Amino acid sequence: MGLVARVIEAAGISTVTLEMIWPYQRLVGMPRVAAIEHPFGRPWGDVGDIERRDAVLRAALDVAAHAREPGHVEHLPFRWHEEPEATKWHPAEPSPIIAMIKARQRSQPPQRS
Amino acid sequence: MTSPHTVDPWRFTGSFLQKMLSRAIPDEATHPTIPWTPLRKPLSECRVALLSTAGLSMKGDTPFDMAYERAHPTRGDASWRRIASNATAEQVEVHHLHIDTRYIERDLGVALPLDRLHALAEEGVIGEVAATHYSIMGYQGSDTSKLEQRSAPEIAAAMRSEEVDLALLAPV
Repeated sequence: MGLVARVIEAAGISTVTLEMIWPYQRLVGMPRVAAIEHPFGRPWGDVGDIERRDAVLRAALDVAAHAREPGHVEHLPFRWHEEPEATKWHPAEPSPIIAMIKARQRSQPPQRS
Repeated sequence: MTSPHTVDPWRFTGSFLQKMLSRAIPDEATHPTIPWTPLRKPLSECRVALLSTAGLSMKGDTPFDMAYERAHPTRGDASWRRIASNATAEQVEVHHLHIDTRYIERDLGVALPLDRLHALAEEGVIGEVAATHYSIMGYQGSDTSKLEQRSAPEIAAAMRSEEVDLALLAPV
């Protein structure tokens, strides 16, 4: 997504990227990042949580309004309402790349030193 | 202004994914020069568009190609879709193999908060909601070239043609 933000920004449109894995900024170089501690799949908040969605939108808009330098990263103050162990975001079956990596690991167990 | 909270990017990833993603991220910035378009107007005059990586498509439109990724796990569909400004969960399909898509299928706003964006426009916080919003499918694997060189410029051109001032992008 960071790559897309760069292209849109370069085309003359301001962007804010709401990003969970905000360290990607070091790799990609996004114009404005609003870092958020939400699980994958629900960046703006949980199902039916209108209040959180509204607050995150306002916060992201605020980043657009006050960021003054390219690469601005702002950590939004929101906490997720469930502990990580209780937060389900994984797909029902592993994605193809994860399945491939895990299959490789099973066929090539790490050597012990 | 100091932030009271530093976001822990790995809070929900699990250790396997943390290791995998961390490997790709350098300790220091390595990116090229960052493009910059200052916001030219107050928010209350801006036309705003949303973009999600959730693999959203309007029902009846061509869905994102999950068979391609299943056949080539290191690749992902690099195309893009337009989402109508008044779209609801019932009118949208979600195609993404890396998340539990059922939350978005129940409530589109968790990935594309059009409902609240309209409310903010009515309140005058933003000027206007763009007529069109956008989705890509975020997993691109080892090849981001089509997304970067074809889809992203096409999305940017579509936004420009609708005179969008500000785009809010949210990976899932």
